[in-house]
Order: sequence, then C-alpha cells, then structure tokens
Amino acid sequence: MGVDLSVKRLGIKFKNPLILASGPAGFGFELQQYLDISKVGAITLKTITLNPREGNAPPRLIDTHGGIINSIGLQNPGIKEFLDTIAPRLKEIKTIKIGSIAGFSIEEWNILGEEMDKIKEIKAIELDLSCPNVKGKKIWAKDEKLTQEAIKAVRKSTNKPIIAKLAPDVTDIVKIAKEAVEAGADALSIGNTIEAMRINIETGLPVLKLKTGGLSGPAIKPITLARVFKVTGALDVPVIGIGGIMTWEDALEYAMAGASLIGIATALMINPQSPLEILEGIESFLRQKRIERFEEIIGISHRSGF
Amino acid sequence: MIEAELVEKRIARDYGFFRFKLHEELEKPDAGQFVMLKALDEPILAKPFSIYSYKNKKLTLFIKRVGRLTGKVFSSPIGEVFYIRGPYGVPYIEKINKEKKYILIGGGSGIAPLNFFSELYPELVYKKLYGFREKYIRELFEKEEQSNLVIEEESGKTVVDLLVNVYSEEFGILACGPTPMLKNLPSGSYVSLEAVMGCGIGTCKSCAIKTKEGIKMVCKDGPLFKKEEVQWEWI
Repeated sequence: MGVDLSVKRLGIKFKNPLILASGPAGFGFELQQYLDISKVGAITLKTITLNPREGNAPPRLIDTHGGIINSIGLQNPGIKEFLDTIAPRLKEIKTIKIGSIAGFSIEEWNILGEEMDKIKEIKAIELDLSCPNVKGKKIWAKDEKLTQEAIKAVRKSTNKPIIAKLAPDVTDIVKIAKEAVEAGADALSIGNTIEAMRINIETGLPVLKLKTGGLSGPAIKPITLARVFKVTGALDVPVIGIGGIMTWEDALEYAMAGASLIGIATALMINPQSPLEILEGIESFLRQKRIERFEEIIGISHRSGF
Repeated sequence: MIEAELVEKRIARDYGFFRFKLHEELEKPDAGQFVMLKALDEPILAKPFSIYSYKNKKLTLFIKRVGRLTGKVFSSPIGEVFYIRGPYGVPYIEKINKEKKYILIGGGSGIAPLNFFSELYPELVYKKLYGFREKYIRELFEKEEQSNLVIEEESGKTVVDLLVNVYSEEFGILACGPTPMLKNLPSGSYVSLEAVMGCGIGTCKSCAIKTKEGIKMVCKDGPLFKKEEVQWEWI
C-alpha cells in the first residue's frame, strides 16, 4: 500500500509536505528545467517588494563550515512588474503557489497585500518579516509590535491565508508567534537565516559587500528545530519548518517536532534534485515504520513518540 | 548530481590539472560553459569550474588552489568521488561574432575555458596568450603549449602588455582571468567573468553583476559579456 504524504492546512490540500521556500527557487520558471516542480507540495515565490530592487553589490554569498552566508538583498522586479509579467505566467508552475511580500512601511505591507490578493494563482501570502539582508531596513520579526502591525496591515487587504515568516534569532519566539497569530496570521514559517559574517584575514575586511548576511544550512538546523518545537508546543497553529533541511532525516525531525509543512532552500540551491530525494526518503521511512499517513508523525515528539 | 571520480591529477604548487571520470555523459558541453563541483560532505556549497576539456565522460578541470573546496580537490587521492552537475552558462560561440578570428587572453585558471574553445573552434583562434606570474607553471604544460605562456617572472610583462604587439581591429578578443586584467583590455573585447555562485542556474541571484541593461546573472546570462556592457565599479 502507498503512503499518503498529503497535508491539509490553511484550507489547502498539499500533495506532500515539501515546500520550496522563498529565495533560491525564484518564481520557478528557471528551476523547472532542472526539477519537476509538480512533484513538490508547494513553492513560495521569491519575495516581492513595492519597488524594484537590484539587491546588494557582490560578493553576496560565502560558504562556511556547515552552511552558507548570503546577502542577496531581496533582488526582485517590484510588485508592478510582478503583476504585469510574472503573475500571468504562474499557471505554468504546476503546484500550489504561495506569494511572498516584504514591506518597508505599514502602508507598503497593505498595498502589497492588496496587489497579491488579486492574483488567482496565489493561494496564500507569506510575509517576509525576517530578511536580515537589507541595509537600513528594520527586521519586523524582531519586535512584537512591528510584527503585529505588519500582519494587521496585510490582514485588512486580503482574505487569503497569511503566513508570517519569523526570525529564529529572537529572545522569545513563542511570545512573537502568539502576537503574530493574534494579529491575524493563519500560519507561521519558522524561521529564516541567522545574522552572520566572515572576515577575509588577508584584507582584514568582511567578505560580503554588505558586511553581514544570513547563515543557512545544516549549522542552523538544531537551532531552528528547537524553535519549531517550542512554538508548536505552545500554540495550535500550522508551522512551516525551514532551516538547514538537507536530507529526509532532517525533514522528519522537523515534522516530529511539530512542523506540518517543510521548507527547503539551501539544499535546493546546492542540488535542484534534492527535494525529490528527500520525498523518497520520507516515503520509504514511513513505509518501513508501517505508518500510512504523514500527518500521523506531525508533532509526535510532543506526544509519546512511537 | 553526477558522480565524478578523480582519475588523474598533475599539480605544480597552486595550479593543477584534474581529470574526472563521470558516471554519466554531460549533455553537449561547449566552450565557456562550467560545471558545479561538490565534495561529498564539506564544504556543502557547490562551486563553478569552467570546462578545460571534455571527451567521452572524461572531464578535465584546470584549478587554482584558493579555498576549502579546491584545497580538497588538490589533496584528494586518485579514486576520490566528487559530484558534478551542468554544463551551465551560455557557450561562447552563441555570443561572439563568428566572422572574426580571436586572440585568446587568459590569466591563471582563466585559461580553462579558452583551452576548450581552441579545441572546439581552432579555426576561430588567431593567437593564444596565457598569463601567469611565476615560471614554475611551465612544468604543467606540453611542449606545443609553452610558446603561448606569458610569464611575468621571466619577461616582466603581462598578457595585456604583449597584446599591444599583436592586436589590430580585424581580430576579436576573448578573455578570461582576474578582473584587473579584464578591465585593461580594449573595448569590444569579450570578457568571461568569475563570480561566487550558489545554484549555477539563475535562480538564487548570488552571482549578480550590473550591466547597462540592469542586473544580470553571471551563471545564466554569462559568463561571457562585452567589456563595455559591464559596470566594473560594482564588481
């Protein structure tokens, strides 16, 4: 008998729990030459801002032990171009599409929410409250009040499900998660990259042009995993776990910790085929354990385990 | 990713030729294209390497030792397995004017794609100038390649210095090497850029450069650009 990997959350049936997280998947068009996107549960599109952004000057990426540090800086065409040229092509991407937006002010959040709301192909909207790579931009998710204000502004502009993407590097993530849900978030993405840097010892200068960036990859997995565990233990809200998931074992850890959906970014960047390898691994694990539905293992660490 | 077994290596200090036997054929690799090479575990990031030569699942890379991944390739025993995907990037031949003959200007490991170009399109090559700082590099090259080497330690001259003697407008220039070298070439030159890449396929936006037509990605839009297209102060 086959294993049922489907997950129902936010009124959406995902064929499996794997989501291509916002960032290295772009809008999916280039990626689909290298990965059959119809095989993954969903794609969260690259974050869109009100105005076009060139992103940061290079170098934007550097590797480190157990991970990579990036400072792309939200390079994107802006909401107008997105609506005009990208949105009409989104039906070519044969899976659930989640839009991602980042405002620089309450007003921008509101406008971005309204514009995204118009796009039929987009089934939910993720608020990128936590990108650490924009010079001078506040990180909304590091402040409860700002988190609430941004979510409320988007809530007013759309009836689509709202996902708040929180920063893992905060003092009390449970508190911020609660405020986010109270403000109207239907789900949470936990988390994002963690502020990090490297210095070139020959020049004595930071390697990244922005000086600091965000760390992703296996190094952050245990950190984000603990946050997912804490939030899902305290709140009854769907959580997308994102942080250093490279293998099917990593994905299972997140599911058992309480994540109902699992986001992949760095692994996808390194190997575009990795989502399929992760899915195969999850399926064969469940089959071996004689578990018929993926849903059964979500949050099992909060219960009595196997 | 394709398994790539290291089957041969020839090293002189910080440069080396590394030949890999691939478990699958690369799909029509062309000159100027690159592969993403990854170690089994650390470092986790795959890095781009231009193809020096390719035939029947045998891939040759010409690598300078600069960081953790290249260090690993240098110190690996024969038989070590790496992983490869590609080829990526636009072949040079799709971007250049095919009516001209070219002076190939290479600097350091930048000679790699130029070598593949001269293997595939010898009729388009007028002259090769391959620049290196130190003379130890000579031991890595065959007899017939020696006269193309321009060694600063021997002559006090760089490839850019020597270009003046052979260049006229009837020829094109196809160059790959360090940024200061590329910046000193005549306008109209085709320059092949190097950048830190994440994905190699245009999605992650790590290898951005600024051009007259806005931001472009070295991996997908390049690596070859017209020299005047590039806004060098941004690099």
